Amino acid sequence: MTAGRTLRRAPLFVVGSVAGFTGLIAWHAVDAGTPVTAGMGSAGAAGRSRPAATSRAGAGKRHPAHRGTSSRRPRTAHLVRTATGPGVNFGYGTIAVKVTIHGTRITAVSVAGLQTLEPTSQQICAQAIPVLRSEVLSAQSASINSVSGASYTSAGYARSLQAALDTLHA
Amino acid sequence: MPDEHGRRGSALRGAGESGETAFTHAEKVMGTVVSFTVVPGGMPEPAARAAVEAACRVLRRADAVFSTWNPASPVSRLRRGEVTPDKVPAEVSEVLALCLTAREASAGWFDPWALPGGVDPTGLVKGWAVERAAGVLQRAGIDAALVNGGGDLTVFGSPAPGRRWRVGIRHPWRADALACIVQPRAAVATSADYERGAHLLDPATGRPATGVASATVTGPSLALADALATAVAVGADQALRAVGALDGYQGYLIRADGSEEDTGGMEFTS
Repeated sequence: MTAGRTLRRAPLFVVGSVAGFTGLIAWHAVDAGTPVTAGMGSAGAAGRSRPAATSRAGAGKRHPAHRGTSSRRPRTAHLVRTATGPGVNFGYGTIAVKVTIHGTRITAVSVAGLQTLEPTSQQICAQAIPVLRSEVLSAQSASINSVSGASYTSAGYARSLQAALDTLHA
Repeated sequence: MPDEHGRRGSALRGAGESGETAFTHAEKVMGTVVSFTVVPGGMPEPAARAAVEAACRVLRRADAVFSTWNPASPVSRLRRGEVTPDKVPAEVSEVLALCLTAREASAGWFDPWALPGGVDPTGLVKGWAVERAAGVLQRAGIDAALVNGGGDLTVFGSPAPGRRWRVGIRHPWRADALACIVQPRAAVATSADYERGAHLLDPATGRPATGVASATVTGPSLALADALATAVAVGADQALRAVGALDGYQGYLIRADGSEEDTGGMEFTS
C-alpha cells in the first residue's frame, strides 16, 4: 500500500507489531460485526476452541519453529460467524484479519490479506503469521486418518506425516 | 479406539468398533508410495487383502502406461510423436479426455498441452489411477477405505459407524504440522512446491508459478481434484473461483504470505 516509507526495523520488532495489531484488529472486526461468510460448523463434539492470537515472544527466527494454524473453523452447535476486518495499516504495511466468532467469543483468527512495504517485511510476516494462530495441530494430536499434501516422491515418503500414520496404524 | 481384541490396526481412529479390524498397506508405485487404509466390514481379511492387491495392479498398470520417466512407455512415445493417439492403450484417450474437462473446469489454469515437451497428463494421472484403485476396492465389496497416493487421496464408506474420515492438510512450512483438517466425502488433492521444488508452471507464461504456498481441492473425482489443485496452485484466487463454480468441488488455498482463502463449502473440522 502507499503509506509513507518507514525505516528498516529489526525483524523481531515487526513480528511483535504484527502480533499486537492482530489482536487489536480482531476485536475491531468483532465490533464491526460484518459477517462475510457464514462459517458452517459441522456436527461433532470435540471442538477445541480457545482464545485467538496467542503470540509467542521471540518467535521471529529465520525458520519458524512453531507449528501453527487454522483453528478458524470451530465446530459447535452454536452460531458460528466469520467476519473479515478491513485492511489496517500497521506501520510496515496493511493487514486484514479474519475472525471466527462462536457466540460472543473469538475462537479463531487468520490473516485474510497482507501487503507490506518491502520484501523483507513480507518474508518476516509470512513467518510470523503461523504464530498468530493458536491451534497446534500435529498428526499425533489431531486423530486423523490420513494427510493430504503436495505429492511426495517415494524418497520423500520417509519424511512424510503419512508414513508416520501408516506406521502407527499398521 | 482399541477394539476388544486389541488387534493390530486398532490404533486407527474409530476403526475396529464394528468388530472388524482395519488394516493398512503401503505400495511403492508411480514414483511415490500409495497408502491404503481398509475397513473390510463383513469381508474376511484375506479377501480384502486380495482386493488391495488387485487395486495395486491397477496402479502398476497406470505407471507402465503413463510414465513420462520411462522413455518406452506409451505416453512417452506419444509425446515424442512416435505413435498416434489411436495406437496407444485406451486409457490414454480416457485420461486425455479428462484433461480436456479439467482444462475447461479450471478456466485454463490446468493445461497439459501448454507444457514444454508435448502433452503431459501427469498432473491428473496419479489422481485418476488412485481413484480407479479405490473403485476396485469398492466393487470388491469392501465397506470403507481411504487410498492416499503420495498426498492425493480418496475415501468411500465410513471409518466406523457414525464417523467421518478425517484428513489433515499438511502445513506448507512445517512438514510435521497440519494447516487444518477436513472431512471429505470422496477426493482430497493438494498441490504445492514444497516437496518437489518449483515444478508448477503457469500455462500463460511458461514460468514457475509463485504466490501460492498450498492449494487443496475436494470433490467427487480425484482425477479432477488432482488437476484442479494444480490449477489453484498456479492460478491462485482466479482458479479458486473457477473451482468454487463447479458442482461438488471446493477449494482452499494458503498464499505465500500466509493468508488463506476457501470457496466457502469445504467441510473443515477441528
